[in-house]
Amino acid sequence: MTIGITGREATAVPGATRSARDGGITAPRRRRHWGRSLIPWAFLAPALLLFLYFKFIPMAEGIRLSLYKVQPFLGDIFVGMDNYAAVLDDTAFQEAAYHTVVLAFGQTFGSMVVGFFLALLLEGQAKSLWFVRSAVFLPVVAATAVVGEIWRVLYFPDPNGFLNEVLSWVGAGPSTFLDHPDTALTSVMMVGIWKHAPYDMVLILAGLAGIDREQYEASALDGTTVFQRLWYVTLPALRPVITILLTLAAIRGLRVFTEVYVLTGGGPAGATSVWMTTVFSRGFEKNDIGVASAASVMLFLVTFLLTVIVQVWRRAREAR
Amino acid sequence: MPDNAVSRPSLRSSVRSRGRKTAVVAPALVAVCAAVAAGCGTSTSPSAPQGDPNAPLEVWTRSQDSAAKVYTRIFEEFTKKTGQKVEYKAVFNDFDKQIQQRAANKDLPDLVITDTGSLGVFTQQGLVGEVDRASLAGAADVSERAWGNARTSDGKFHAVPWSTQATVTLIRKDWREKLGKPVPATHEQLLDLAKAFTSQDPDGNGQADTYGILAPATTDRGYTLWWASNFLWQGGGDVLKDSGNGKFQVAIDSPESQRSVEWIRGLFCDSKVMNPNALTLTTNDAHPLFETGKVGIYTTGPYMFSRFDKNLGKDKYEVIPAPRGPGGDTVLGEGEDMYIMAGSPNPAGQKKLVEFMLTPEVQQMGMKVQAGETPVVRLPVNKNVDVKTVLNDPRWDTTKQVYESAGRPFPAVPNFQPFRQKTSESLNKIFTCTTDTRAELGKLAGELTKELSTQGIKQ
Repeated sequence: MTIGITGREATAVPGATRSARDGGITAPRRRRHWGRSLIPWAFLAPALLLFLYFKFIPMAEGIRLSLYKVQPFLGDIFVGMDNYAAVLDDTAFQEAAYHTVVLAFGQTFGSMVVGFFLALLLEGQAKSLWFVRSAVFLPVVAATAVVGEIWRVLYFPDPNGFLNEVLSWVGAGPSTFLDHPDTALTSVMMVGIWKHAPYDMVLILAGLAGIDREQYEASALDGTTVFQRLWYVTLPALRPVITILLTLAAIRGLRVFTEVYVLTGGGPAGATSVWMTTVFSRGFEKNDIGVASAASVMLFLVTFLLTVIVQVWRRAREAR
Repeated sequence: MPDNAVSRPSLRSSVRSRGRKTAVVAPALVAVCAAVAAGCGTSTSPSAPQGDPNAPLEVWTRSQDSAAKVYTRIFEEFTKKTGQKVEYKAVFNDFDKQIQQRAANKDLPDLVITDTGSLGVFTQQGLVGEVDRASLAGAADVSERAWGNARTSDGKFHAVPWSTQATVTLIRKDWREKLGKPVPATHEQLLDLAKAFTSQDPDGNGQADTYGILAPATTDRGYTLWWASNFLWQGGGDVLKDSGNGKFQVAIDSPESQRSVEWIRGLFCDSKVMNPNALTLTTNDAHPLFETGKVGIYTTGPYMFSRFDKNLGKDKYEVIPAPRGPGGDTVLGEGEDMYIMAGSPNPAGQKKLVEFMLTPEVQQMGMKVQAGETPVVRLPVNKNVDVKTVLNDPRWDTTKQVYESAGRPFPAVPNFQPFRQKTSESLNKIFTCTTDTRAELGKLAGELTKELSTQGIKQ
């Protein structure tokens, strides 16, 4: 998205304004004009090159590998669509797909709800709020691997584990958390919500700041309750923000890897295996790079499709 | 989204002023050229020209800092003696995965030291070539048993042994004596001790916060089977059965295997003596649970002695051979091999380093370490090095005896890794107490049979 927007902006700014002022175009001018329109590309080139080298070439290579039985030192063997068939046939991938969707769904909505309430709590101009907001935002910037290790300690599934101790104060628990198939996925989801909710909060805060105060005053004059104001004024005004959040979170949710890998490695008994952990294990534990590549390409196609659908849907709405 | 907000104004402001333009463009172009150069640099030179005797040797070992210090000393000694430079890198997390990434780039390290368990994968993928024992100086000093760790299913050698070991059982001696229990010699006594550790508050802090048996039983790297194999064998079970002529049969669904697995499952589900986070625990995260007094019985390799001596105390734990089960006292006895990786520009240097590593001096350097360091040679592969005289530690003598009398490796199939991974996933599922053991093992047997056919060794 970065390239698209900056690229368009950059060509529009210098080109359009200056040629209009300069009047007729002669040969040397044209060359200068040419030079000018090259400048934005010169600026873009470092980023484009990096993208080419670190994103597009590896992606193309991934697509190529997905069609081969990969053995770098013995020579790859072309197998056509066999790897894709293997992915679709594999129960491990089917289970992983289910877990991924559940996890993406739960984390997206959980983060949004928590983020929304955090935003309501922390909206305002006071200096102290600024400090609290920064503190609340910390999980987003903390390294996921570190967060995972710390949560593993908090989740220690024994009555003396930190969270179980807390639960025991209210007479609940002890829970097995990450170490039982029934509770593992929910526990991973909680960590995801904890990590992503503050990000949602920041975007929602921005949305809240854009709501006209007069609407609140008017509705208060009409005698609405707090809940009614939330429902009829705040939420509708936040609709664009929520759409964006949903899109971003859903796509991010499908690619989830680090949290799961650090927290459970996909276990116990595969209860938290998601698409990317399965790809990883297939590629680097069972050394089946071809099938792993095929699964990655499939994930790419799904996210690509999702993005296109949302874009088309948004354009259609904007056009209306 | 946020990056658009940043890039737009900055771009506009830099283009707006004509005077500043060239000044800004120049560094941008320099950056472009640099990126191009860097890009081409890595893509067009996959490896140095063949046969360069001065190329430094890149060596990887699967070890943590405490072992890396020892290896560093050894490689420095090698450089001092021969003038051959060594670029050493210790990798622990995701070692196998990183090797696979290097393999995918066709740019492998020159020498890799890791578990014998990688032999099958490396051989099958062509990452290592055949080793000619006769041409290696010092090869005759290596014990025949150790060479077994480097022999592939076709009877050829594709690695060079570096260190061997057997797993031993570590028990919190102070806890055991406090509760008045004997040193366990059988599975029944072991279970009894584990129950006491779990329920009788051996650390005396008034809380039920201790456990009997410690297991790093995550499916990652196939650890579940790595840990469970001892109990499985001691119960008379097995994953595969060697039917001779290089052919194998699946044995994981045999009555003995079922009984063994049921017994292990009981540790998790009935007596509940296991550490509660076992099924997602890696070895690295498991060690602290023994050191900090959470769990009292730990089956592991002798390389942990030095660390536990430092962090727990030599007098607090004892080292015993594995207690006997109905099928005997077999334990996992494997080790580490040196893998001479393919595609090296300096094969002569590789050979020189391997020969150096086999000498009695270097084997001893790998055994004798300072406090807190991990020995990188556990039991020497060189026949002329004696554990007793080098280390003078009865715990190492125990390890040696166990290795000689009860140690066995995983079966010599072309590639055991898929078997280990699949078995681990099934066992992990069984130990969650949510499935039927018999049915799950039956399903696993089907998958393993399929893998036997894939590898062409089905009886």
